[in-house]
Amino acid sequence: MSGHPEAFDLLKSIIHLSNSAIPIKAKLDQMLQTISEAFGSDQCLFLRREKIVENGFLSRVASQTEPFWADKESPFSGEEIHPEEKDLLRPTFACIPLYDETIFQGILYIGFSEKQQLSSQEIDLLVLVAKEMGEAVRNAHLLQKMEQTSSELATLHEMGKVVTSTLKLEELLESIVRTGLKILKAKGGVLRILDRKTKELKVKWSLGDYHENPLDEKIAKRVVFTRTPFLLNHFSKGNTILSIVCAPLLSKEGSFGTLGFYDKETDPSKFDERDFQLLLTMANQMSCAIENAVTHYETSKMVDEHKKRVGQLSILWELNKALLTTVNFERILQITLTAITVGAGLGFNRAMLFMLNERNRSLNGTMAVGPDNAEEAGKIWNYLSQEKEETLSDLIAQILPSSTSNSILNHKVKGIQVPLEQEQCILSRTVLEGKSFNVLFPQVDQEGVRTRCERGCLLSSAASCPIGEHLSRDPTVYSFATVPLRGKGKVIGVILVDNLYNRNLITDEHIQILSMFSSQAGLAIENALLYRNLEEVHQTLKDTQTFLVHQEKMAALGELSATVAHEIRNPLVSIGGFARRLYRTIPDEAPEKRYTQTIMIEVSRMEEILNNLLNYTRDESLVLKEVDLQDILEESLSMVSEKFDEREIELVKEYAEELPKVIGDHQQLKQVFFNLFINAYQAMSGKGRLSLRVHPVSRNGASFIRVEVEDTGSGIDPENLYNIFNPFYSTKESGLGLGLPLIYKIITSHRGQIEVDNHPGEGVTFIITLPVAPLREGKMREVDQ
Amino acid sequence: MKKILVVDDEESIRYLYKEELEEEGFAVEVAKGGEEALEKVPLFKPDLVTLDIKMPGMNGIETLKRIRDLDRQIPIIMCSAYGEYKQDLTTWASDAYIVKCADLTELKTTIRRLLGLV
Repeated sequence: MSGHPEAFDLLKSIIHLSNSAIPIKAKLDQMLQTISEAFGSDQCLFLRREKIVENGFLSRVASQTEPFWADKESPFSGEEIHPEEKDLLRPTFACIPLYDETIFQGILYIGFSEKQQLSSQEIDLLVLVAKEMGEAVRNAHLLQKMEQTSSELATLHEMGKVVTSTLKLEELLESIVRTGLKILKAKGGVLRILDRKTKELKVKWSLGDYHENPLDEKIAKRVVFTRTPFLLNHFSKGNTILSIVCAPLLSKEGSFGTLGFYDKETDPSKFDERDFQLLLTMANQMSCAIENAVTHYETSKMVDEHKKRVGQLSILWELNKALLTTVNFERILQITLTAITVGAGLGFNRAMLFMLNERNRSLNGTMAVGPDNAEEAGKIWNYLSQEKEETLSDLIAQILPSSTSNSILNHKVKGIQVPLEQEQCILSRTVLEGKSFNVLFPQVDQEGVRTRCERGCLLSSAASCPIGEHLSRDPTVYSFATVPLRGKGKVIGVILVDNLYNRNLITDEHIQILSMFSSQAGLAIENALLYRNLEEVHQTLKDTQTFLVHQEKMAALGELSATVAHEIRNPLVSIGGFARRLYRTIPDEAPEKRYTQTIMIEVSRMEEILNNLLNYTRDESLVLKEVDLQDILEESLSMVSEKFDEREIELVKEYAEELPKVIGDHQQLKQVFFNLFINAYQAMSGKGRLSLRVHPVSRNGASFIRVEVEDTGSGIDPENLYNIFNPFYSTKESGLGLGLPLIYKIITSHRGQIEVDNHPGEGVTFIITLPVAPLREGKMREVDQ
Repeated sequence: MKKILVVDDEESIRYLYKEELEEEGFAVEVAKGGEEALEKVPLFKPDLVTLDIKMPGMNGIETLKRIRDLDRQIPIIMCSAYGEYKQDLTTWASDAYIVKCADLTELKTTIRRLLGLV
C-alpha cells in the first residue's frame, strides 16, 4: 500500500461492506478479499473464537490484546505452534485480536509469502479495519438476536390475533394448536379441556396422533391436577414420544385444561428452555381466550336452547289460542292435527288421531291430516316455500272445515278400528302403557317394540292391518311416533305422526313437544266431547220437557173434555130420545119427519164424538199379554177392508218369518192399526197402494218389532207435521182429530215409538216399533199394570 | 103389569124414560134422587130400578147399596153418562150397566131380559 488515498479507499470499502445488507459470512469474505487485495497479501482470514485451538500461539495472541506482527525470524518456540497453525506461519504475517468491549471475538490474520515490512500506518490501518470487522460481527450477532426476538414477538402477536380472531370454540382451539405447532416446530399437539360437569379431561383438538398415546393422557392429567408445566426430552427409541412440553391452562378457579406439544422437528428432538417459556407464555395467553370461548360456547348453546324453548312455547300458545276459539269437537281435532303438520307448528308430514271408545274398548280412526301422496306433499311444500312466513294462528284461521274431510288419508284412517285387546299393536300399547313410542324402520328390537306383528303390519296391529298398509308404501325406511292423548287423568286417544315424505328422523325432542302438545289438545278435545255430550243431554232434556208439556196438556185437556162430555151427554139423551118419540108419531109424508130424523142423526154423531173423546181421555188400564202382532194386523186390515173397495187399493204385505211376540193390549193395538189403516185409505182417497212391512230389529242390544205402514197418498203438509199427534188437530173435513193422538197415546203406553217418514205429494210412512216380549220359560203370563 | 122405578136427577131424563117405558107397557114411578128412591121402594115395590150414578145428595152408588139393604132380589140397572164404573159395578152390585144414550133400545132390551119377558 503506497499512500493515504489507497488507505482511505480501503477504509471506505470496508465501512461500505460493513454497513451493507449482505449476510455476515459473505460480508466477512468480501472484507477479507478487499483487505487482501489492498495489502497484496497471500492469505487473509478471520479466525472465529471457537476455531482457535487452546494453548496454540493464536490463543497466546488472543490473550494479549495487542496486534501481533511476525516474520520467520520471529522468536517462536516450536512447542507453541500447533500442527493446524503451521500453515499460518508465513514469512510475514500479522494477527490482530478483535474485542467487543472485553469479549474476545476472533483474530484477523494476514499473511505474505515473502518477507515484508509493514509500516506503522499500515499496522494502524489493519487495526482499524479489524475493529470495523469486529463491529460487523457484533452487529450481525445483535441482528440475529433482534430477529429472534422479533420472531418471538411476531409469534406472540399471531397468538394475540388468534385469541381475538374468533369466539368459535372449535376454530380457536384449532388455531391455538396450529400456531403452537408452528412456533415450537413440533410434530404434534394436543389440547385438552376439563369437563365442568364430569371432571373428565377430554381431547378437544389434536394434530398428529399423540393423544392416542396413554403416556400423553397420564402427563396431561398430572399437569392439570398439579397445575405445573412439564418438560421431558426422552431419548429412548422404544417409546414413540421422544420429547414433550405440556402446560396447564389456568383460570381464576384453577386449571381447566392442558396444552401439550410433541417431538421437535429438529434432530435430535429436544425442547429447550426457550420453547418451554414460549409454551408457558402461550398457555397463559390462551387460557383466557379459551375460557371466554368456552363461556361463549355455553352461553350460545343456552341461547339456542332458550330460543328453541320460546319457539315451542309460542307454538303451544298459538295452539292454545286457537283451541280457545271453539268447542266444536271436529274443529278442535282439525286445529290440533293441522298444528302438528304445518311448518310453523311441529312440521310432521302426517298426523292421525284415534279416539278411545271405552264402551267397546277399541281405538277408532277419527281424523287425519296430511298429503295423500308424495306428489301432493311436494306441491304443498312448493307452495309454502313461496308464501311469506305465516304464524300458526294465521294458518289455523285459514283452515276450512271441509278441507280435511275430502282427503283420502282421512277417509282411510276413519275406517280403522283397533281393539285394545290387540296388545302388540303400538296404538293399543300407547293407550295401555300411557307412554309414547318413537319407531324407526328398519329397527332393531329395542325397548320391547316389536318390528312387525305376525300379519306384517308395521304397527304390530293384527286387526286386518289396514294401518300398516296405509301408512307406508316403502317400509324399508320409515319412522313414526305415537303419543297418548290425555284427558283429565286418563288416556282418551292416540296421536300418530310420521315423516313419510321427507323421511326426516323423529327425535326425542320432537316427541317431547308433541307430548306437551297432545296434553293440551287432549284437554280441549275432552272438553269438546263433554260439551257435545252436554248438548246431547240438553237436547234430550228439551225433548223430554216438550213431551212432558205435551203430556200435561193432554192430561188437562182430558180432564176438561171428560167433564164437558159428561155434562153434554144427559141433554143429548133427552134431545135424541124425544126426537125419536116425535119421529115415531109424525106421519111419513110430513116434512117434520125429515127434520126430526136430522136431529136424531146429529145427536147420534155427537154421541159418537163423545165416545171417541172419552176413549182418548179415559185412563183405561192396559190388559197386557203376549200377543201376536200379525194376528192383530190382519184383524185390523179385515175391519178396514169392509169399509173400502179393495179393488182400487193394492195391498202389499211383507211379514218377516218367525216374528217374535210382543207384550201389549190386543184391543188397543187393534185400535191403533185400525186407525192407521183408515187414515191411509182416506189419504189415498180410496185409490193407491198400501204397504205393510213387519220386521224384527235390534237397537242398543234390545229387540223390537218394526211395523211400517206406507201409503201413496198426499202425504202430510210439513206445516202440520208437528201437530199431527196433538188432539183436536185435524185436517180432515170430518173427524175430531183424535185418531193419531190416540195411536200415539197407546204406543207410548206400550213403551213403543212412532215415527213419521213424510214425503208430501208422494205419501207417508208411519213406523211403529214395539218391544219384543222377553223370552220366558213356561206359559204366557198376564201382566197387569 | 111390571113396575119400574126410574131414579135420575135430570127431569128431562125422568120424563123421557117414563114416557118411553110406559109406552112399552110398564108402570113407571120416578124419583129425583137417592133419598126419594129409598122412600118409594117400600111403597111402590118396583120390579126393577134404573139408577143414575151422578146425582146431588146421595149418589147412585150409595143408593144402590141402600136399596140392596132393603131388597136383595130387585134387579137394578145403572144408567150413567160415565162409562168408567161399568167394570166395577157390574161385577159386585148391579145387574146391568148402561151408558146413557139417546137410543133407548139397549135399555129396553136389558129391562126385558132382567124381567124375564123375552
